[in-house]
Amino acid sequence: MVSLCIVGLSHRTAPVDVREKMAVPSDQLEHTLRRLTELPGVREAMIVSTCNRVEVYAAVERGDSAELVRRTLIEGRALPATLRAHLYSHEGQAALRHLFRVTSSLDSMVVGESQILGQVKEAYALAVDVGTVGSLLQRCVPRAFQLAKRVRTETDIARSSASVASAAVDLAAQIFGELQGRSVLVVGAGKMGDLSARHLRAAGVDRLFVVNRTRARSDELAARLGGVAHDWTELDRLLAEVDIVICSTGASEPVLRRDQMRKVMRVRRGRWLFVIDIAVPRDVESEVGKIENVYLYDVDALDSVVRSNLDGRSKEAVLAEEMVSGEVDRFHAAERTQGVVPTIKALRARFHEVAVAEVERVAGRAESDKDRELLRQLAESIVNKLLHEPTVALKREAAEADAAVLVEAVSRLYRLPAGDEEPVPARVLSLRAREGES
Amino acid sequence: MPPLFPATVALYGIACALFFAHLYGPGAGAGHGAQAGQRQDAPTGVSTLARIALALAFASHAVDIGWLCTKGMHPVVNAKEALSFFSWLLCGAYLLLSSRYRLAAIGVVLVPMTLVLDLAARLSPGSEQRGAASLLAIVHITLASLGVALFAVAACGAVLYLVEERNLKQHRTGRLFRRGPALETLDTLNRRTIAVGFTLFTVALITGAVWLLQTPGGHGLLSAQYLLSSVAWLVYAGLIAARIGVGFRGRRAAVLTVAGAMTAVAVLVVYLVRDGRGA
Repeated sequence: MVSLCIVGLSHRTAPVDVREKMAVPSDQLEHTLRRLTELPGVREAMIVSTCNRVEVYAAVERGDSAELVRRTLIEGRALPATLRAHLYSHEGQAALRHLFRVTSSLDSMVVGESQILGQVKEAYALAVDVGTVGSLLQRCVPRAFQLAKRVRTETDIARSSASVASAAVDLAAQIFGELQGRSVLVVGAGKMGDLSARHLRAAGVDRLFVVNRTRARSDELAARLGGVAHDWTELDRLLAEVDIVICSTGASEPVLRRDQMRKVMRVRRGRWLFVIDIAVPRDVESEVGKIENVYLYDVDALDSVVRSNLDGRSKEAVLAEEMVSGEVDRFHAAERTQGVVPTIKALRARFHEVAVAEVERVAGRAESDKDRELLRQLAESIVNKLLHEPTVALKREAAEADAAVLVEAVSRLYRLPAGDEEPVPARVLSLRAREGES
Repeated sequence: MPPLFPATVALYGIACALFFAHLYGPGAGAGHGAQAGQRQDAPTGVSTLARIALALAFASHAVDIGWLCTKGMHPVVNAKEALSFFSWLLCGAYLLLSSRYRLAAIGVVLVPMTLVLDLAARLSPGSEQRGAASLLAIVHITLASLGVALFAVAACGAVLYLVEERNLKQHRTGRLFRRGPALETLDTLNRRTIAVGFTLFTVALITGAVWLLQTPGGHGLLSAQYLLSSVAWLVYAGLIAARIGVGFRGRRAAVLTVAGAMTAVAVLVVYLVRDGRGA
């Protein structure tokens, strides 16, 4: 029996430094996906690796598969065993609920934000490309996307949600008051930096500068945001000038260091500086936050702000949670119903074969083609009417509870093929029946 | 007892309750129902009512002070009246500044302080000293009280700055997040309030020196009162010089403001104690 299994960590269980270590770099995703599906009992896999979560979604058929996935994530990548303490795992219905909650942004750092849906879609597309998606993920994940869409359209969760970007705007307003006339420097060309800059722009910030190691990318981002691109060499000069700095580079080492920022603050004569570090790994040394009049917020710090903003959104979140629960129940009912489909198909095949055989047996006595067609329709109609009640009963039983007993009874009564066997032709069955009788 | 004292106390009490309701009442939670970047320190119905109640209390208090002056019990010769006068100036300074800045969060501290000072002035046992005052004394006491009142408002703002600043550094967002004024607003308030307060206090110090030198049998310029006043003046002079010279601002300015205000208030306390004993 293949079931959904999730192993991973998120902002709820791991601080940003742990998430940094656990993150799967984009150039290693394909390799990791293949390694996962080579594990015994792991048939399908998808990896969601964002700044707030690293999760493996797998279709597994063995009880120890979750442990194997854990080993691949930790020991397989030579990470410290202490990281295990931050990992969680869910299986079966709990895993499905988790997938639905994650995709619907109910498990996000900022409930209702839309980025996670795009990130899961990207993860799914990659897994499809690599060929690690099979029938289970094909059924679950697109369904999660549909649910996420419903949650966004049928509740106000997205409309009233804060986001990391809007939290950054709130903080800037708390430091500077009105944001008109302020300036912002975007360091790096990450998506979140882009989003935060847009929010600040919308809140009144009127001067925007972009610095990136690749000039072409800073030109592109500056053009998109209506700002001015500068060379990386001008970073310190711009730091001394602006009010707000957004860092979202993909650098593995900090790009803003304590000593550098001390010098910058001396040039600024202590003018307030708000530094938003939304890069993972972080772009700004944490010691920078201790410098006087510098306010440093990384993704975890922004999370704490966002959480305090969620009071008014709990009602919408409750509605969305109810939608998730309903969808989980419907999915499981559909899955169980799907489980009796082979039995129903076999039963229909069995009856159909008998009906066809009987029609063929008497067809020779019919006077015209029209009569033969009438005979065929009559037989088909009788078969359909006879099978209607048992089909409905089987589906109903499967949707409401475990239909294994009923399936077994039907299979034995009509000598249906079990499991993976091909349906036995009706004529053979009827022959066997006659042999049994004799 | 002045005729409007009960009404004054009641109005101050109502203003206190409304300021508390503004900061801690329903809908005051951070982020509740607000869009990103939308300031929640903007006046609300409750904070407007609070300011109206405070303005009425201020007017009522003024009537009481005027009535007592007509009876010869004015702040220059009577320590209790000096305290009440100081609390009235504190309220006036706050009302004036809150028309320019969004200071409802400061009102939560400053209005109860005003009420307590007025109650202490009226209900404490002490002399009902009466007499005439010289023009120099009136100018000195009025300017000194106004200067110290402005320093006190600046100190309340500075304390608020320190609390908000610590919260921001520690990534904590409580009730003051959004409902409190922005850090830069508080620093601007500090700079302007101290600039005006310092000017008034300087003139008060000069008139006080002249007054003391004219007073026969006193300690003159070596009195504890005058020495403390000089220390307070030096603290604020240093703060202003550092602001202009080296861009001193934020936390350091707030700490120095609180230190200066404590010294200035100590002057008032010494004056009150001395006059109380003298009575």
